[in-house]
Amino acid sequence: MSPSPISRRAALALPLGLALPSIAGAEPQRGGTMVMIVHPEPSTLAHYAVSAGNIPMIATQVYEGLVTYDWELKPVPNLAKSWDISADGKTITFKLQEGVTFHNGAPFTSADVQYSYMEILKKYHPTAPVLLAELTSIDTPDPYTAVFTLANPAPYIMKAMAARDLPIICKSVFEGTDPLNNPSANKPIGTGPFKFGQWERGQYIRLDRNDKYWKPGLPYLNRIVARFIPDAATRSAAMETGEAHFAGYSAVNYADLARMKQNPMLDITTKGYEMAPALSVLELNSHRPPLDKKAVRQAIAYSIDRSFIRDNVMYGYGLPATGPLSRKFGPSGLYTADTRQYDVADRLEIANKLLDDAGLPRKEGGMRFGLHLEVNSFGEQWLRQAEYLKQALGQVGIDVTLRSEDTATWLRRVYTDYDYDINEPFLGQSIDPTSG
Amino acid sequence: MRLVRYFGYRLLLALPVLAGIIVLNFFLIHLAPGDAASVLAGESGAATPAYMDILRHKFGLDQSLGTQFLVYVFNMARFDLGYSFRNDSPVAGLILDRMGPTALLMLTAFSVAVVLGTVLGLVAATGRNSWRDAVISLVSLIAYATPAFWLGLMMIVVFAIRLAWLPTSGFDTVGADYEGWDSVLDVGRHLIMPASALALFYLALYARVMRASVLEQTAQDYVTTARAKGQTERRVMTGHVLRNALLPVVTMAGVQAGNLIGGSVVVETVFGWPGIGTLAFDALQSRDLNLLLGIFFVSACLVVVINLVVDLIYVTLDPRIEI
Repeated sequence: MSPSPISRRAALALPLGLALPSIAGAEPQRGGTMVMIVHPEPSTLAHYAVSAGNIPMIATQVYEGLVTYDWELKPVPNLAKSWDISADGKTITFKLQEGVTFHNGAPFTSADVQYSYMEILKKYHPTAPVLLAELTSIDTPDPYTAVFTLANPAPYIMKAMAARDLPIICKSVFEGTDPLNNPSANKPIGTGPFKFGQWERGQYIRLDRNDKYWKPGLPYLNRIVARFIPDAATRSAAMETGEAHFAGYSAVNYADLARMKQNPMLDITTKGYEMAPALSVLELNSHRPPLDKKAVRQAIAYSIDRSFIRDNVMYGYGLPATGPLSRKFGPSGLYTADTRQYDVADRLEIANKLLDDAGLPRKEGGMRFGLHLEVNSFGEQWLRQAEYLKQALGQVGIDVTLRSEDTATWLRRVYTDYDYDINEPFLGQSIDPTSG
Repeated sequence: MRLVRYFGYRLLLALPVLAGIIVLNFFLIHLAPGDAASVLAGESGAATPAYMDILRHKFGLDQSLGTQFLVYVFNMARFDLGYSFRNDSPVAGLILDRMGPTALLMLTAFSVAVVLGTVLGLVAATGRNSWRDAVISLVSLIAYATPAFWLGLMMIVVFAIRLAWLPTSGFDTVGADYEGWDSVLDVGRHLIMPASALALFYLALYARVMRASVLEQTAQDYVTTARAKGQTERRVMTGHVLRNALLPVVTMAGVQAGNLIGGSVVVETVFGWPGIGTLAFDALQSRDLNLLLGIFFVSACLVVVINLVVDLIYVTLDPRIEI
C-alpha cells in the first residue's frame, strides 16, 4: 500500500470532499490516493438508469447535479449557479455555470440539462415516474439558461437535484444511441472532480483527478480507488491494516465497530448520512387473514421492543421509529411524533387484549396462529432482527416461521406474487419521501 | 497417428455431451424463481411496471421460453456467449477477465497440494506407525477437517493484522503501478494466503490417499519379487511402487481438477480474489442467466479437455492401459 497523506479514517460519511477535511480538523493536504470500500460491487455505473445504493458512492464523484446541498440540506449552487422559482411554483429558471467542460472536452450547456432531464432521466431513471412526473418541458433560451416548466408545483424536485438522484450527463455522448447500451454506462463521462479511470471487475474501480475541474483548486486527492471485497470480516481487516481508508454504508458490520473504536487509526462518524435516512419497517400483508384485521396489525406493533432492536441488532446506531416517515423530514414539516405510541410499559398486555378481543384466543401450546416472516436477504443483520421478531411475536402468541431465500426469490415472492405474511425491508428515504 | 485419431474420436464424443449441457443448463436455470429485472428493480428501490417492462424487453425476458432458447442456441452456434445486461458487458469478456486470476490461484494451490501431498503420503507410508506417520496423519486430518473460510480468516488475523507481513486481500496493490518483477512479486504476496488456504485441504486429501495407496501396493507380489531380485528398498519404492501408487491420486486429482475451474467461492470471497467462482455466485444471485450459462459452458469445455489430459497421464504412468 503506497502511503497516502490523508489520515486513515473509517468514516461512515458520504460526501468525501466535505466530510474528510471537516472531521480531520486540520488543513487538508494535497495529493494521494484514497482507497474506499464499496459493498457490494456495483453491477453497472449507469447511474442515470439504475438507482442501486452502491452506485452513488462512485458515480457522484464523476457526475454532478444542478445543485448540491449543505449540512442543513438546503440547496446550494453547483452546476446551476442560481435559480428562480416563479410565484405559482410551476416555472424554475436555472442560470448555469459557464466554462464547465465534460471529461471528454465537450462544453456543458443548457442543451445537456435539457437532454439529461427530458431524454434520459425522465425516460429511464427508476424514480423519475414519481420525481419528474410534473416536469413537462425544459426550454433553453440561451446556452446558460434552462427553464423548467411543471404541470403542477413540485417542491420536492428541488430536493433531489444532486448527482445522487438526478445526474447531468453529456448530450453528445448519448445522442443517437440506445442509452441503456451506451458505452458510457460503465465508463461514465461527467463534469465531476474525478474522471473514470479503470474498472477491474471483482477488484476495484479507479477514479483519477480531473485536472480541468471547474472549481479552482479542487479536488485535493489525486485518485480515489473503490475496492470490492466480498467477505465482511476481510473488509474489516482491510480497514484495520490501513489498506483501505474509508468505508460507508454497510461495508463494515455493526458488530466490528466496537473493536474498531479502539483503533487510534480509525474514526467512526454518522455525519454524511443526512441525505440518506433509512427506515427499517415491517410490511404486513393486509390481504391475508388474520392480518386483514387492524387490531392484529396493532398487536404486532405493540409486541415489538424497538429499543431492543436498536441496541442489539443495530448496536446502538439508530433511533426507534414512531411512524412510516423518518425524523429527518422534521424540517420539511412532513414528520410528526404525534402518532400512536407503541413503546409503552404495558404494551404486551395491550397486544394480548387486542388479539383476544379479535377472536384469536391462545390454543394448546400457547400460540394463537402462525405467520411467515420473509427474511431480508441483504445481510446478516436482518436475520438477527428476524430472530428477535420471532421471539417478540411469540410472547403474544404469534408463532413466526422464518423464511430465508436468495434475493431474486425473496423479491419475487413478496413484490410480484404477494405470497407473504410479514416482510422486513429497509427503505431508503432520501431527503424527501417522494425521491426515496 | 493413433494418438491423433484417438483425440479426434474423443473430441467428437464431446460434442453431444456439450450440446446436452447447453440444453440442460438452459432449462435448469430457468426453473429458478425471480428474474434479473426484479433483482435490479429491488436494488434500485423503486420501479414502475413501465420501467420493469423496459428492463424485461431489454433483457429479452418478454419473449417466450422457446424463443429465448432458440436465440441462445443460435448465439452459441456462432460461439457468441451473449451479453450480460446486468453488467452491461459481453459475457466472454467478463469470463476472460476472471480466467487469469482463477488459473493462477487454482494451479498454484493444486500443484502445491499434489506434489506436497504425494510426498507426505509417501513419507508417512514408508515410516508406517513411526512418529513421522503419526504427525503427518494427524496434521492432514486436522487440515482436512478445517473449513477453508475459517482458516482464511485466521491467516488474515495472524499474517495481515498482527504480523503485517501480507496484504489482507485482493489481486494486486491498487494504484501502486508496479512494473516487471515488482508486479510479479506483488501478485505473489497477494497469492500466498489464498493459495495456502485452498491447498491445505487438497494436500491433506492427497496425503491420505497416497499413504493408503502405497501401503496397499507394498503388500503386492511384485514388490516381493523385486525385493527377491535384491533391489534396494529405495529402488523398489521409486521404480515399482511409486508409479502404481500414483494411479488413485491421479484419478482423484483428475476429478477435482474439474472443480478447480469453477473456482472456489469460499476462498475467493474471503480474500477478495477476482475469480470465476464469485462471478458465478453473483450471477446466480442476480439471475444474470446469460453470464451464468456462459460460465457453465466454458467450465464444461475445460472439464472435457482435462479429462482427456488425465487419460494421457494414465497411459504414461501405466503401460498396461491402452488408448
